[in-house]
Amino acid sequence: MDDMILTMKGIDKQFPGVHALDHVDFNMKKGEVHALMGENGAGKSTLMKILTGIYTKDEGEIIFEGQPRSFSTPKEAQDAGIVIVHQELNMINHLTVAQNIFIGREPRKGMGIDDAKMMQEAQKLFDMLGIPINPQESMRNLTVGKQQMCEIAKAISFDAKLIVFDEPTAALTETEIVQLFKIIKDLRNRGIAIVYISHRMDEIKVITDRITVMRDGAYVGTLITSECTKDDIIKMMVGRTIFEEPKSKSAVEDNAPVVLKVDHLSAGRRVQDVSFELKRGEILGFSGLMGAGRTEMARALFGADIKDSGDIYIHGNKVEINSPEDAVKYGIGYLSEDRKQFGLVLAKSVLENTTLPTLEKFKNGHFLNRTKEKDVAKKYVDELKTKTPNVDEIVNNLSGGNQQKVVIAKWLARDCEILIFDEPTRGIDVGAKNEIYHLMNELVKQGKSIIMISSEMTEILRMSDRIVVMCEGKKTGEIKIEEATQEKIMSAATQKS
Amino acid sequence: MMKKLKEYPFVRKIGWNRIILVGVIILMYLIFALVNSTFLSYSRVLSTLNYVCFLGFLALGVTFVIATGGIDFSIGPVMFCAALISGHLLTKSNFPIIICLVVAVLVGMIFGVLNGLLVAYIGIPPFISSMAGMMAAKGVGSVFTKTQSVSWPQVTEINGWFRNLISTRIGGIQFPTGLILLLLTAVICAVILHKTQVGRYILCLGSNKEAVRLSGINVKKWEMLAYVVCGTLAGVAAIFYVCAYTTVQPGLGDTFNNDAIASCVMGGTSMTGGIASISGTILGTIIIAVLQEGIMAMGLQKDYQYMLTGVIVVVAVYLDVKSKTSKN
Repeated sequence: MDDMILTMKGIDKQFPGVHALDHVDFNMKKGEVHALMGENGAGKSTLMKILTGIYTKDEGEIIFEGQPRSFSTPKEAQDAGIVIVHQELNMINHLTVAQNIFIGREPRKGMGIDDAKMMQEAQKLFDMLGIPINPQESMRNLTVGKQQMCEIAKAISFDAKLIVFDEPTAALTETEIVQLFKIIKDLRNRGIAIVYISHRMDEIKVITDRITVMRDGAYVGTLITSECTKDDIIKMMVGRTIFEEPKSKSAVEDNAPVVLKVDHLSAGRRVQDVSFELKRGEILGFSGLMGAGRTEMARALFGADIKDSGDIYIHGNKVEINSPEDAVKYGIGYLSEDRKQFGLVLAKSVLENTTLPTLEKFKNGHFLNRTKEKDVAKKYVDELKTKTPNVDEIVNNLSGGNQQKVVIAKWLARDCEILIFDEPTRGIDVGAKNEIYHLMNELVKQGKSIIMISSEMTEILRMSDRIVVMCEGKKTGEIKIEEATQEKIMSAATQKS
Repeated sequence: MMKKLKEYPFVRKIGWNRIILVGVIILMYLIFALVNSTFLSYSRVLSTLNYVCFLGFLALGVTFVIATGGIDFSIGPVMFCAALISGHLLTKSNFPIIICLVVAVLVGMIFGVLNGLLVAYIGIPPFISSMAGMMAAKGVGSVFTKTQSVSWPQVTEINGWFRNLISTRIGGIQFPTGLILLLLTAVICAVILHKTQVGRYILCLGSNKEAVRLSGINVKKWEMLAYVVCGTLAGVAAIFYVCAYTTVQPGLGDTFNNDAIASCVMGGTSMTGGIASISGTILGTIIIAVLQEGIMAMGLQKDYQYMLTGVIVVVAVYLDVKSKTSKN
């Protein structure tokens, strides 16, 4: 046990009405990458927030570097060498890289700040990490991936001994992920312990040494990565086997009618001359790297952003879509990649969100018929198995998967024929993910058509009947599922045309 | 103890916030009555109600705008502008009184429409657009009346019957008609806000405008409507203002913005939008009115009222913020 840098024993935490952590044990060896896995709400973040001083524990003990410790503020944890790299980056866009890294502890020169020294120190950090970033660059000019590298550099600068990565790859491109992994390995070799929180099974297998699984606020078990399979992990996480293989054959007939035809659509720099057809009952996957213009294409198609040119045909008839209002009128629903910002009115109830696009239907003279609204909201809660105490619950209180179901309910209530799912399972745990997949399959069986934008290769291969690949705003490939391989998609996604 | 009290079904139904407001009103009455025993006299109460009346219409209107997450700093001057233009038409151009009253409401509505167009369709921040509206309203009122103040006729004079709108003599007692009309309007506003499509859209877009837009809803239309309601009610407020105070001077009115917005905020309407309480707004108006009347009854300057209003607003918002963070 001597090589343990961190031991957390019997950690217990109660929130009003929720037993968030039920006597959880967790330990870390020096210089290991340790995955912390579990569905949303399993208690991973709560555990890490207790470790880093954001929450205080009710019971249990934390032993860090052989000393019993208890951190009551993030600053105390930082001083002890425990740093967290958050999923949402905490960078200030108009400052330079160096200013961001040393914010609040800038090197002094008399009354002012020693800019030169700050630059040098930042440069040193980047050299050590082998990251090609100019410390004088303004933060806003960096890609999300580079910004995250800066977060890491900042973590190192605290003389960190333990770094917690919370879903670090959620917003990264494939190349950036490769680079991140290189850095993580490098840190490990230097004896820094790393907690790695992620839902992405493939990454966990590649980068981690051990895996601890949590479920419903309790410790389930710890596995050695090299000795277990994906199925083992998933079984521990959900208590059942659910992993499914990629789709091998399209479920759509070749002569199925075309419901949507997009012809030479252009919008800004990010969407250039994109054309495709969507058939009835089809899931059309949109693959590509971050910034390939898929979301922008969807938003232009939906009328959320202004398009420069291009025609849209629905059932063969040319239509004018200049606002989301028009798109909805033609039976198109858009499920945004950012549910919280664009998909839901978080402060309002399940009921109010469900009936938002269809409020017209619930009018009884001048008034809204609440009973009817309630019936419809309940119907979709039951149908989609949304976990919520009742339909008057504020959406913000639901988990990611259930929030996504409310967004789906909203468009189902509108009876949309064409649904655009933009990253349908981002930030959603494995169990709920499968439910969403199942639901999408049900929808296409009922004759609806789906455009699915996804950055997860496994998701694309598992769900799509046909795959459109985009790169830098252009369509660079269209692949039938029967012929699709990761390599083919990847080469189209990186093809500079 | 406090926690337990909050759990009672009765308290829950009425809302903790509103119970506190009623408590504050009673407390203020007690304090002012102790200092000046005439404070409880019926004439004082009527005088307080006069203030409640016109301020209530202003505050009801701005509640809609604040519910969308916007703000309107032009309502006070718009009210004055409406009173000046219609009053000028009545006294200098001898227009029929009924036309003049309609003109007052129309002037308010026009400012509301302009403000709504600027904010919702052109995308000018509400702060700026309503500030421009405020200056424009002052200017238009001054130009129209050639910087002359306007005095509306007394109740005994010809055309003075309109004053019965705010209070009317029935069997020897002054009856507060204005309060009844205000409460009726408040009920209508509450129904609109909480039971109709318009209200649902306004509250939702105040909470997350982009999500509502992406749900295929014409947010511009509904956002603009809130400003139109606000302007129109400022026009109505103008009628009640002249009912109570007779004379209107050009170039003034800004202080009523603060009073109206303070009433909303005290009543539990969130400045960030999405949450609004009509009954809270009315209670807030009463607090402001009692305060203003009480300060006068104590023989103090109006400046003390401003100071106290400032303190009360900060306390009210603090309580609001605190209750929100403790819930999380």
